[in-house]
Amino acid sequence: MTLALDSVRRGQRAKVLPGFRLTLGITLAWLSAIVLVPMFALVSRAAGVGFDGMIASATDARVLASFRITFGASLIAATINLVFGTMLAWALVRWRFPGRRLLDGFVDLPFALPTAVAGIALTTLWAKRGMLGQIADGYGLQIAFAPPGIAIALVFIGLPFVVRTVQPVLEELEPEIEEAAATLGASRLQTIARVVLPELLPALLTGFALAFARAVGEYGSVIFIAGNRPGQTEIVPLLIVTKLEQYDYAGAAALAVLMLLVSFVMLLAINLLQRWAKKRHGN
Amino acid sequence: MTIEALGLEKRFGSFAALRGVDLKVEPGELLALLGPSGSGKTTLLRSIAGLETVDRGQILYEGIDADTISLRDRRVGFVFQHYALFRHMTIADNIAFGLKVRPRRERPPRAEINARVEQLLELVQLGGLGGRFPAQLSGGQRQRVALARALAIEPRVLLLDEPFGALDARVRKELRRWLRRLHEEIHVTTIFVTHDQDEAFELADRVVVMNDGKIEQIGSPAEIYDQPATEFVYEFLGGANRLPCHVEGGVALIAGTRLTTDLPRDFTGDAVAFVRPHEIGVARPNGHIDDVAQVRSILPIGPDARLDLEHVSGHIEALVPRESLDAAGIGVGSRCAVRIARARVFPTS
Amino acid sequence: MRAERPSLIDPWPVRIVVGALIVGFVGLFLALPLYTLFAQAFAKGVDAYLRAIDEPAAWAAIKLTLTVAAIAVPLNVVFGLAASWCIAKFEFRGKQLLTTLIDLPFSVSPVISGLIFVLLFGLQGWLGPWLRSHDVQIIFALPGIVLATVFVTFPFVARELIPIMEAQGTQEEEAARLLGASGWQTFRRVTLPNVKWGLLYGVLLCNARAMGEFGAVSVVSGHVRGRTNTMPLHVEILYNEYNLTAAFAVASLLALLALATLAAKAALEWRGRTEIAS
Repeated sequence: MTLALDSVRRGQRAKVLPGFRLTLGITLAWLSAIVLVPMFALVSRAAGVGFDGMIASATDARVLASFRITFGASLIAATINLVFGTMLAWALVRWRFPGRRLLDGFVDLPFALPTAVAGIALTTLWAKRGMLGQIADGYGLQIAFAPPGIAIALVFIGLPFVVRTVQPVLEELEPEIEEAAATLGASRLQTIARVVLPELLPALLTGFALAFARAVGEYGSVIFIAGNRPGQTEIVPLLIVTKLEQYDYAGAAALAVLMLLVSFVMLLAINLLQRWAKKRHGN
Repeated sequence: MTIEALGLEKRFGSFAALRGVDLKVEPGELLALLGPSGSGKTTLLRSIAGLETVDRGQILYEGIDADTISLRDRRVGFVFQHYALFRHMTIADNIAFGLKVRPRRERPPRAEINARVEQLLELVQLGGLGGRFPAQLSGGQRQRVALARALAIEPRVLLLDEPFGALDARVRKELRRWLRRLHEEIHVTTIFVTHDQDEAFELADRVVVMNDGKIEQIGSPAEIYDQPATEFVYEFLGGANRLPCHVEGGVALIAGTRLTTDLPRDFTGDAVAFVRPHEIGVARPNGHIDDVAQVRSILPIGPDARLDLEHVSGHIEALVPRESLDAAGIGVGSRCAVRIARARVFPTS
Repeated sequence: MRAERPSLIDPWPVRIVVGALIVGFVGLFLALPLYTLFAQAFAKGVDAYLRAIDEPAAWAAIKLTLTVAAIAVPLNVVFGLAASWCIAKFEFRGKQLLTTLIDLPFSVSPVISGLIFVLLFGLQGWLGPWLRSHDVQIIFALPGIVLATVFVTFPFVARELIPIMEAQGTQEEEAARLLGASGWQTFRRVTLPNVKWGLLYGVLLCNARAMGEFGAVSVVSGHVRGRTNTMPLHVEILYNEYNLTAAFAVASLLALLALATLAAKAALEWRGRTEIAS
């Protein structure tokens, strides 16, 4: 609370605007009630397990397998989104074609569509007798209820991230930079590889990290398509739910804290990336 | 290299940027494209570079149609208005870029590239700064990096788009002189775009004045200043009084002064006269009515004085020696006779 | 202008190849799933579709979802306005930290968002025994669902408003104060009109998420059919019972909500752009 009191003094000295005390009060109270206290409950419950208990639960074979599949599928999905998201952003910014605005809006569908809805649609589509599952089955590939299905769900939910981080940077990119490269004798390919992509790099990495972080925590769309076989297609969030249903609160909390640590590291990485980009471009 | 533009036309949607431009640039000359914004000067420069395709007309490099030469083979050094430096590369990498992207067979060895970069850094007075990034340099330094980068490919022609536009006045002046010296040193055909007449007059061998997608006048700075070809050029150069007048038989009556004009002997009608302030003198009124003006204010500038005069034909600005005021006993509020020494008269269309 | 610069135009072979890849990607991951959704919902005809929706458990789910959103969204609007006001209009120490904490729910797995409330209010949770002795039920009941929903939608409104308010600065508000407006008048007549489109945008996104949230709500709901099932949970139950038509019928309602949200978002963005341009 020293933060708040100190702030009130500093805030009021500077401004003639009213309501600082009131709005900061509401903000802190609401933030504490909804976010801070419950998060603290989680961390303290996990701390009850102790450090050894955390290690033990993290190195359990089933847990390890679930981390492997979660991170593996998330990495693949984020990579696919990186490649196609960049192309999509490029087309949306640089090309003029009928339906461009429609496509631009459509890219946000995974943000707006409830995950459970996406989950059942993707499962139906990729199940053995589904429209696309049939084709894959013809090649002897099982998609739904197997690891590729998880990756597909994660591609879906992470799709907008790369597009939406790269698009504004691409829009702001001065066309003169590419013209300069062209007058200096660079081919189009050289210009893209040596001038455009390096300029986009921070945005590309940020989009990738955001898509990855989102994929790691995803639950709704994956549980339908995954098949959820322990050790094979069981993701970490599902394992948390399973532990909770078995009233293993401490185990669930320990896993949750591990996941939080991962998101925290991702968040830090994204922040550092953005700081790096700002510093390099000097604005 | 000789560059020729023949009948260039270019539209952006409904806006005509170039409306029939013909221009010949001589080898080794320093040419300024001068005009207000929207006059087509930047479009002309970009078309010569090959960054813009014209709708009609032709550009010849040494007599060869430039359309048949790829951007890489044109060897055009282009300096962009905001420099367009590659932010993620060091200064040295920026300058080396044009050499490094050459096909392997034509690419100089690494050591040679490095030596060339060092040499260029020295040339633009940035020795020792090769390891910095563009964001760490001042505006004037970035400007010179952009120039060094353009020079690295040993261009056959150097094109600069508002090269000093983004700099403050002091740096602009310094760089201007520096660029003039540099041109005398390397003597590459150079075309630059500017909307600043001082810049054009100080730097260029020849000035091309553009307006509304067309060329109004081409000439040396002295020619343009002494003999503005059109009303527009007079207006654009500024500082001249614009006085409505009447012409009879080729003789104009301007603020009470009769002057023979360049107009045909048989021309009679309304016209507009451009008179520079120093081409106007004042004297004690001598009984005539139509040359009398009232002195509104007097601003001493060194040995001269700037007079604001109110005449029936309009507001007149004159620049006269201060002693002539004392001699004639002219002060603020007094009346005086206006004497026009020289004027250029254009018939009112 | 961009399309006019010849050195920036991608050659046609590149456009065709990249364009084909994009069409394939968008078709595979966006268009076909959406198509499947509606195709399955109407697979047995319009009558079957309507019957699947007009059914007590479905109505209960719809009602519960609307109730939860009607509580959670206004709460977060009030919070979002308060948070953006103090963060955007004042300078104070710890502001950066506060902003980061407000964004926290976005980076937490939905499962964890539910879990934290179970750990707090569940039978074995901190307050579980006390709540039980006073006969208050939070988990596996409406309050728990609302709490989890408020948590996952926590940052939406604040996040939209903070940058807009920051960009607008404080001069207009200061001018209003000097002209004699009260604090509330200043907010109502100067600040609010300036941020109304951003606010609407935030509300829209907040609402879409509130109605569609699955993971967090699933953890705290207890899945009591007709009582604690929201629409997404109802979809799950129907699907797991192999009642596909019904599952997709209810899902299609949620999809329509998503499409409406996207359309409204596009309209707002277009509006914002033209307002800036004029």
